[in-house]
Amino acid sequence: MNSNAPSSSSGATGSADSSGPRRNSKRPKYSRFTQQELPACKPILTPRWVISAFMLVSIVFIPIGLASLFASRDVVEIIDRYETDCIPQALRNDKVKYIQGPEDKTCNRTLRVPKHMKQPIYVYYQLDNFYQNHRRYVKSRSDKQLKDPKSENDVSSCKPEDTTPGSNQIVPCGLIAWSMFNDTYSFSRNSEQLPLNKKGISWKSDRQHKFGKKVFPKNFQNGTLIGGAHLNSSIPLSEQEDLIVWMRTAALPTFRKLYGKIEVDLQANEIIQVQLKNYYNTYSFNGKKKLVLSTTSWLGGKNDFIGIAYLSVGGLCFVLAMAFTIIYLVKPRRLGDPSYLSWNRNP
Amino acid sequence: MAGWRGSRSRPGGGSPRAERIPSSRTIQLGHVQPQAPGHRTVFCNDREANVNAKFKGNSISTTKYNVLTFLPKGLFEQFRRVANSYFLMISLLSCTPVSPVSPITNVVPLSMVLFVSLVKEAYEDWKRLQNDKAINNSSIEVLQDRRWESIPWKKLQVGDVVRVRQDAFFPADLLFLASSNSDGVCYTETANLDGETNLKIRKALERTWDYVTSEKASEFNGEVQCEQPNNSLYTFTGNLIIEKQTLPLSPNQILLRGCSLRNTEYIVGTVMMNSMNVPSKRSTLEKKLDKVIVSLFLILFCMCLIGSMGGAIWINLKDYYLQLGKKDSTNTPQFDPNNRFAVFALGIFTLITLYSPIIPISLYVSVEMIKFIQSTQFINNDLHMYHTETNTPALARTSNINEELGQVEYIFSDKTGTLTRNLMEFFKCSIGGESYGTGITEIEMGGAQRNGKNIGEVRNSSIAIREKGFNFDDARLMHGAWRNEPYPDMCKEFFRCLAICHTVLPEGEESPEKIQYQAASPDEAALVTAAKRFGFFFFRRTPTMIYVRESHVEKMGKVRDVSYEILNVLEFNSTRKRQSVICRYPDGRLVLYCKGADTVIYERLTSGNNDLRNTTREHMEQYGAAGLRTLCLAYKDLSLDMYESWNEKFIQAKSSLRDREKKLDEVAELIERDLNLIGCTAIEDKLQEGVPSCIETLSRAGIKIWVLTGDKMETAINIAYACKLINNDMKQFIISSETAAIREVENKGDQVELERFIKDAVKTELKKCHEEAQNYLQSASGPKLALLIDGKCLMYALDPSLRRMLLSLSMSCSSVVTRLVRKGAQRITLSIGDGANDVGMIQAAHVGVGISGLEGMQAVMASDFAIAQFRFLTDLLLVHGRWSYLRICKVVTYFFYKNLTFSLTQFWFTFETGYSGQRFYDDWFQSLYNVLFTALPVIIFGLLEKDVSASLSKKYPELYKEGIRNAYFKWRVLGILAFFSVYQSIVVYNFVLTSSSRGVTSSGKMLGLWDVSTMAFTCLVITVNLRLLMMCNTITRWHHISVGGSILLWFIFIFVYSYISTNKGIFYVIYVLTSTLYFYITLLLVPVVALLGDFLYQGIQRWFFPYDYQIVQEVHRHEPDGSSAGLLEIGNQLTPDEARSYAFAQLPQEKSKHTGFAFDSPGYESFFASQQGVKAPQKAWDVVRRASMRSKPKKPQTS
Repeated sequence: MNSNAPSSSSGATGSADSSGPRRNSKRPKYSRFTQQELPACKPILTPRWVISAFMLVSIVFIPIGLASLFASRDVVEIIDRYETDCIPQALRNDKVKYIQGPEDKTCNRTLRVPKHMKQPIYVYYQLDNFYQNHRRYVKSRSDKQLKDPKSENDVSSCKPEDTTPGSNQIVPCGLIAWSMFNDTYSFSRNSEQLPLNKKGISWKSDRQHKFGKKVFPKNFQNGTLIGGAHLNSSIPLSEQEDLIVWMRTAALPTFRKLYGKIEVDLQANEIIQVQLKNYYNTYSFNGKKKLVLSTTSWLGGKNDFIGIAYLSVGGLCFVLAMAFTIIYLVKPRRLGDPSYLSWNRNP
Repeated sequence: MAGWRGSRSRPGGGSPRAERIPSSRTIQLGHVQPQAPGHRTVFCNDREANVNAKFKGNSISTTKYNVLTFLPKGLFEQFRRVANSYFLMISLLSCTPVSPVSPITNVVPLSMVLFVSLVKEAYEDWKRLQNDKAINNSSIEVLQDRRWESIPWKKLQVGDVVRVRQDAFFPADLLFLASSNSDGVCYTETANLDGETNLKIRKALERTWDYVTSEKASEFNGEVQCEQPNNSLYTFTGNLIIEKQTLPLSPNQILLRGCSLRNTEYIVGTVMMNSMNVPSKRSTLEKKLDKVIVSLFLILFCMCLIGSMGGAIWINLKDYYLQLGKKDSTNTPQFDPNNRFAVFALGIFTLITLYSPIIPISLYVSVEMIKFIQSTQFINNDLHMYHTETNTPALARTSNINEELGQVEYIFSDKTGTLTRNLMEFFKCSIGGESYGTGITEIEMGGAQRNGKNIGEVRNSSIAIREKGFNFDDARLMHGAWRNEPYPDMCKEFFRCLAICHTVLPEGEESPEKIQYQAASPDEAALVTAAKRFGFFFFRRTPTMIYVRESHVEKMGKVRDVSYEILNVLEFNSTRKRQSVICRYPDGRLVLYCKGADTVIYERLTSGNNDLRNTTREHMEQYGAAGLRTLCLAYKDLSLDMYESWNEKFIQAKSSLRDREKKLDEVAELIERDLNLIGCTAIEDKLQEGVPSCIETLSRAGIKIWVLTGDKMETAINIAYACKLINNDMKQFIISSETAAIREVENKGDQVELERFIKDAVKTELKKCHEEAQNYLQSASGPKLALLIDGKCLMYALDPSLRRMLLSLSMSCSSVVTRLVRKGAQRITLSIGDGANDVGMIQAAHVGVGISGLEGMQAVMASDFAIAQFRFLTDLLLVHGRWSYLRICKVVTYFFYKNLTFSLTQFWFTFETGYSGQRFYDDWFQSLYNVLFTALPVIIFGLLEKDVSASLSKKYPELYKEGIRNAYFKWRVLGILAFFSVYQSIVVYNFVLTSSSRGVTSSGKMLGLWDVSTMAFTCLVITVNLRLLMMCNTITRWHHISVGGSILLWFIFIFVYSYISTNKGIFYVIYVLTSTLYFYITLLLVPVVALLGDFLYQGIQRWFFPYDYQIVQEVHRHEPDGSSAGLLEIGNQLTPDEARSYAFAQLPQEKSKHTGFAFDSPGYESFFASQQGVKAPQKAWDVVRRASMRSKPKKPQTS
């Protein structure tokens, strides 16, 4: 009848428990987790560790750095900046007017091969100060539309280049496609045309999965304002590799995009004639245009950065390891010296 | 009692008992006054009438939510957190076109966080509900239809008449009506409330004594007017109106909820009040967390400002490919070059949503989870804190403030029940210059241990007479052996003095085994018990006689009953510090026995016999140093003439109406002189196990301990000695109100004058102490300081004008003994106590610790942590607290770091995108970064991180100081972290972007934005996770699994995600990346470079500026994690300084300051006053008075 139940309320033992036999012991069960005694290793960052870690890094990094630097140095790269040179001298004070005008945009450039270039030689165009990563630009595309003919009407994200003034959907819609680069290059050596392979310049996954085989350009570049290239409306998007390359937007305002491949070796000191059509307007925003011919190594294009970074980090680590060793010898601190404890230092 | 919460006054009207309503109001001068909200009226035995008042039911509810309110209230609680409401705002914002990210970016983490938090809340609340149910369903007998019906507590209503049986708890605050004892008296034990185990007496009003049976009780219909429920234990005002008769109620008639009934068959009472609730606390670290978040906000705001200003400047029409100038509906003002202000303003919103991950949304929930597991799994299950005797494990009642345990600088401790067991034991004595008793106190043991002697095991082997109150072991005195001692007469007087000079009341059977001594103070009971053990068995008391059964007096083995007539009792009070009894032997010999403080007794001794005086004093000093409470005993033979003349004066004084106390004191002075010293007693105020060493360890940890006690100054000092809080080596500052000067002013009776005088005295005293303290502090190796201050002085010292000085003084002292304190310093405080009188203290402190186990639950209910023994504080603070603090700090700073790093990479990218706010990462990267890819390792870290093992934490308590200094959570620490996160973000961002600007395969293809960002994100996830591993002092399997798992999870995620999201830029990127060699080379380079800085910093820091814990790690680097070995080990290493001070303490002291006098006896005045027929205020605890009023012998109440 009488209850001393309230003692249980505290969650702790009350008189109820102390009176009875210890049937329900509240002794916590032992487990390594609850007693916080899980097996563990306790690394102590001793000077030896520090020095050997630095040494290890330098041992690993310096060879990698050397290898990638050599690889990068093996790459032969020809860069030709042409956006000013390709405008007739007389018209250079209003470049925008020239580029928008009806004049013939053909421009001949000659390139000298500095070193032997093994095929394949990759042809890039490089744009400067072109913000392919601008928010308004990046989102102005419709991946659905690019892939699926049924999603032709999916243009809502493409503003402001979604429909023609007559409300017909543009395929491919959006600012990216609209502003596609349209300079063209053709190469010849000793008056002999160098074949330019424009197949396989895009990532395979893009061709196969992102751009539909049954999607054809429609109403493209029909507006008053022409942004860039026209597309052949009889070729499906999956085969329009220039578009595919262009649509893979760059991360930085300075970027290169693959234009084609020359699949013959070029000898040192050979002269290459380039006939280019300078259509693309970078003059409005003072963008530079460059033509780049480059071979590749196992690491890719000419890229000293990785090699230098590896080398300098490796070197720095070596220096640090040495410095630490010297300090260790000059001013050693005995490990676990109790006199370093704060309460022993200031009595 | 704290937090009893009652209902508001009734709304009234429309009740069937409307005619009763006026009586519930106070009628004054003919007009009706609305009932003050401070009062309530209860109609007894009349449920209908009370319905109107809408009193709360008796069920207690500690739950926060119910089914309906859970969602709204729980969500509201969640959104009160800055971070959560911020993310709600961001989520809303990301639905608008200004947002560069899709809403999922913020909604996903927010909803995950909310989900986890709500699940946790629900679980905790459910547990509370179970707890409440257990209480609410315990049964109680209630009067219904003239019969006692058993109903659960929760059904009990105000006004019900209940019957409570012996040993049961009172279900609510009751008005005591009648008891099975015919004189309307019952005993209650208030251990639950104030920790005191001695019984308190409650007495019903005579008018209600009859309502014992159910028939009678059902006729009872009174009306109680009383104050609203409050948290005062010892006061109560109210009236009982019964048949138009108004009877005043006092605390004497109130039975408080939670107390239990003792020695009484049953009582009948009526319910007056009920219900309670407990407040909750927030940790200061969490408050500081808010500061961190605010500072992150500021960083965020600066970043947004820079970004959007850049955007406003950058925007132009030349970039025709963006078609910014196009005038149609699609062009929001955000990119309108003609409206740069709009660009700026909207840009801020854009960037806020973009950088939102800088605010660590999962921080709160992670920290909560860590703390929750810490308290439920670690603290609650710690075997070191499990007390086998009471079967009580530690209990963390809140998980909010674990890390505060690692920063406690001040401990406020209750004395009774916490430091001491409230158990007085007769331990030693000195008779005629001979010291008896072979026991060794804990203090002596500690001292001996430090000297390298091991004496722990030898005690209590020979004669194991143990009884409550008696722990004396010396064959020379037992069983009449004293007859062979050098001064047998002295011994006889000594024993008689013990047996006669007291106010103890025997109860129960008159046999030495069965008798129970009821004493107002356990000291007295111990003394009388000792006399019994020595063969002077006090077994009966009448108002004029004391009966003692004396053994071995005439010859060995002879037992006879002797009755002593008590002629006068000269009371004990705090000024006299002594108590005398004048008794007449059966043979007519008149003797005055006196016991009291050595100071007062020595003043009144006859001249001569200096040897005895000196040796006795020496003994007392020894006892005092051993932490014992001493009393001097003396006697004096009186001649009849002298007595008669004196007695006349005494009676005169006794019956005088003005200044009676003072006159009595004066008269007593006349006879209490020329005493003969007998010897002294030493009583051990039994400390809780391990208290002295615990206190010592804590004070080495830099914790300052304040002991709060209701005792007198002497007792307080004594107990402070006993638990090693202070020692003779310390400089003590004593501020007491009991000085001659103050007493003099007191006697003048002018309150205003008195107040001013005391204040001035306290002020000068404080100033003096303060200056002195400063001097000591400036000298290099000054002694430690201790401050003792009594309540009255403290009251004045807390006056605003003096408070500052007090504070700075007390902060420079390493221990403070005081009787009362209100609020401590700015630092983290911890209160520990066991009874309801500590509840206020427990709730006021940052951390409240309740002693659970044998006694009450009130303190536990109000506390944040409950432990069974004071000594477990070492584990709770030094191990759990320190680790908690360390872990939480590191977790918080790590969150700060990882989110800042992440957002900064995003920030750097903003500069390259024409400040357009283009996101660098995919939506899902951003939303899952915090909740998936970097979440688990930090939680594992927060659970398992240990810098040094538990046993080392206790061995080096000084390590705790890092927590007090808050060394791990300073702005400097955050600054260094911020620096490295800037460095790392630059490395990650620039290295990846620069290296990817050329063709990356031998097939010459280029990477796009999403490829680069995925690359960068991969590097970031790896860097951030490895950085965590670098922070660890302990690396378990789980660290590897979680860190490896998180990185693996990222790869699994990206492989799946980039495969299925065909309509996004992210499609296939990881397959493209992994097909290049560049990917692997960069993956090796970037994290290594990013972490190089941290590594270098850590190497240099450890080598040249090592933290203490790092040294300790190094010292013990070869030892295995001594888990079981360290179980009982508490460091006893002495620094040279301590060793020296200890050596000094061991030297024989010429004039010790401390002899250990302490005596508590609250009940004297009224008892003796009433004996002389003078009315004195009745006091609840007046045991003796209760006895003297018992007219006829009753059968023993104990059954």
